[in-house]
Amino acid sequence: MDADTAIGGPDGRFPSTHVSLIEAAASGLSEAAMDKVIALYWKPVYRFIRIKFQKSNEDAKDLTQGFFASALQRDFFPRFDPTKASFRTYIRMAVERYAANQHGAENRQKRGGGVEFETVEDQEIATESPELEFDREWRRQLFFLALDDLRAHCEQTGKRAQFSIFEDYDLSDRDRLSYSDLAVKYGIPESTVNNHLAWARRTLRAFITERLRGTTSGARELHEEMRRLWK
Amino acid sequence: MEVSDSVLDHLRQVIALPDLTGTRYELESEIGRGGMGVVYAARDRELDRRVALKVLEVPITGEAQLIARLEHPSIVPIFETGTLADGRSFYAMKLMSGARLDRYAADTHTLSERLRVLRSVGEALAYAHSQGVIHRDLKPQNVMVGEFGEVYVMDWGVDAVAGTAGFRAPESTMDRLSDVYALGALLKFLVSASDSPAVAAIAEKAMSTDRRQRYDSVSAFLADIDRFEQGLAVEAWSEPIWHRLRRFASRNAVLLWLVAAYTLVKFLLFFLRKF
Repeated sequence: MDADTAIGGPDGRFPSTHVSLIEAAASGLSEAAMDKVIALYWKPVYRFIRIKFQKSNEDAKDLTQGFFASALQRDFFPRFDPTKASFRTYIRMAVERYAANQHGAENRQKRGGGVEFETVEDQEIATESPELEFDREWRRQLFFLALDDLRAHCEQTGKRAQFSIFEDYDLSDRDRLSYSDLAVKYGIPESTVNNHLAWARRTLRAFITERLRGTTSGARELHEEMRRLWK
Repeated sequence: MEVSDSVLDHLRQVIALPDLTGTRYELESEIGRGGMGVVYAARDRELDRRVALKVLEVPITGEAQLIARLEHPSIVPIFETGTLADGRSFYAMKLMSGARLDRYAADTHTLSERLRVLRSVGEALAYAHSQGVIHRDLKPQNVMVGEFGEVYVMDWGVDAVAGTAGFRAPESTMDRLSDVYALGALLKFLVSASDSPAVAAIAEKAMSTDRRQRYDSVSAFLADIDRFEQGLAVEAWSEPIWHRLRRFASRNAVLLWLVAAYTLVKFLLFFLRKF
């Protein structure tokens, strides 16, 4: 299987769905609100389509793009009923239906044109659960966006030291420095390291909550999603 | 900014921990996790004592504040409620030691001991109902039996909770009768039908799908338990005649023994006079 798209990765930009503000408003959401939904869900939808329907990078990107464009043009978002499922589940099920229809239509066109064989790589990918991958990618994307918010906030409010300490400790993929090592490195007391980390975590949590608030139906769903996030 | 799996796991872990900045508590360890939130053992620095901190995603409002004011020997006392720096709500409660009812019930206990525990739970419920509070999620995991036999009912319901399968009444709106149903389920969990058909019938009545067939209050439920313990007929069960006779014999054993002894003596005297 070819490599995943870089969209949504470092410095990535989510592609515009080429839907005007009027069209977005017609579906009941402002453009800003729609952007939040797309920013959080573009990558999980893309990964879900890739794994569930074993699509190439380009095909998965096209289908993802097609899904959001179609969702905006139809009354997909106003039809969401929070009493039946969370917004996350609603999107995943809608993507599954949409991609299955597209996939079916594609196969019907190809029928008679020879038998398609799965590659070994594709078979390996297919053993993963697309639903679990969707949730994992959603979680990763949520943190990724909230971390971006935190970084921007720190730059705007002159809290670069707080972010650097947070980056050195909480975002480190290797052996973490101890609080005392960080205190020496930044020339500050250990208690200040502790306070800076507590502040950064608290603020990151607030940004996560805000991102979720923009993509859930209300307080109840927001709290449920928050609870699931830590499980 | 790339977020690897290990960084993501670490972030989820540290952000899930309650931010106790500005409170009098120091976090020790996680001790439980339920539908409503997570419970931690913590130390109260000001009073130098250990407490249980329950941290909730939902704000504490309305009925939950009422719960904090409940005072009953079988309701875990709440010392403080508040909002953490990270926006979550918390209760600081007495830190209990003992066994949860599901573990306690796994050990061998007499029927009367099991009914004692059930009665304590019921009394706490009846008191809470009199104060306008409904539990909403009564189950063995929410009852603790202390080392001296004291019984505590925990996790009094907030709006986000709607019961647990097996203990949840079928109706969609929870009220006092839903708690009666859950108490019946708790009785069924504690006492098997082979222990006593009368007690099993009490549990069945409390758990009627038709709400009109249930006891109309926890007090009425407990009154039937009382009748059973006193050897009287229970409201929930129309017992067969042989069972009624056995219960009569059991309740009047002394009288029956006296009558039997009197008859025997009279019988012996009759024969002694004859020979």
